[in-house]
Amino acid sequence: MLPLKIKLEDVRRFAEAIGIRFNDRVPATFVGTLVQANIPGVELPAPGMIHGEQNITYYRPLCVGDSLNYKKCVKDVYERSGKLGKRMFVVLETTGYDLAGELVFASSSVLIAPSKEEGE
Amino acid sequence: MKSLLDYQVSEPLPIREWVPSDLQVRQYAEATGDFNPIHLDDDYARQAGLEGAIVHGMLTMAQIGTMLTDWIGEEGTISKFNVRFEQIVRPNDKITCSGSIKARSKNTLVCILEASNDKKERVLSGLAYVTLKS
Repeated sequence: MLPLKIKLEDVRRFAEAIGIRFNDRVPATFVGTLVQANIPGVELPAPGMIHGEQNITYYRPLCVGDSLNYKKCVKDVYERSGKLGKRMFVVLETTGYDLAGELVFASSSVLIAPSKEEGE
Repeated sequence: MKSLLDYQVSEPLPIREWVPSDLQVRQYAEATGDFNPIHLDDDYARQAGLEGAIVHGMLTMAQIGTMLTDWIGEEGTISKFNVRFEQIVRPNDKITCSGSIKARSKNTLVCILEASNDKKERVLSGLAYVTLKS
């Protein structure tokens, strides 16, 4: 589990970047920024990898100043053939808990990469 | 002012129009730490088969999120927010975010979400649950 503090300056910076006036509320996609954090021992096939889906569920609203813990894992990896050729799908899951251990949010990302053999 | 409780099934939500810029993409990369060069470097993106730099999917999702929170105001919160990125968005595309009510119960509104570009291609589709404050 990694600590996650919802800091005012981070939320303000995020709000400004997405183009809204910061008003003490945490934008719903803020926890999506955690998608980028690395998972030790997992190397994603980065070049050309795109984001296919994002699902976020809140079990209670997130507030500035909240202290949470979160964990990330690779939930699934699969290959699918389509009109764009063979592509690899990676499902990452991030779950956040409050300090009492109650689930606050769950977020899953589907990332899509061209399969390696495609270019060979 | 119209309350969320006044919204009926199939009624549209207020739309949001958005044109992402190169500067905004860079600001988003800096605010989130997502410096994947497919968003920042045209040459790199071309080599990756993308015909030029693309806007972060999460930045487009954030615009739909803003459409929702502007509409919700203080009357509720987003409890579920699911999207599928269907087409690439590029800087200077004219994006229209829209939505409608799919279902409602006493304390929840289920909304269908969509973003499309000025070629009328759908770039994002999704679903949100809005929980009303009791």
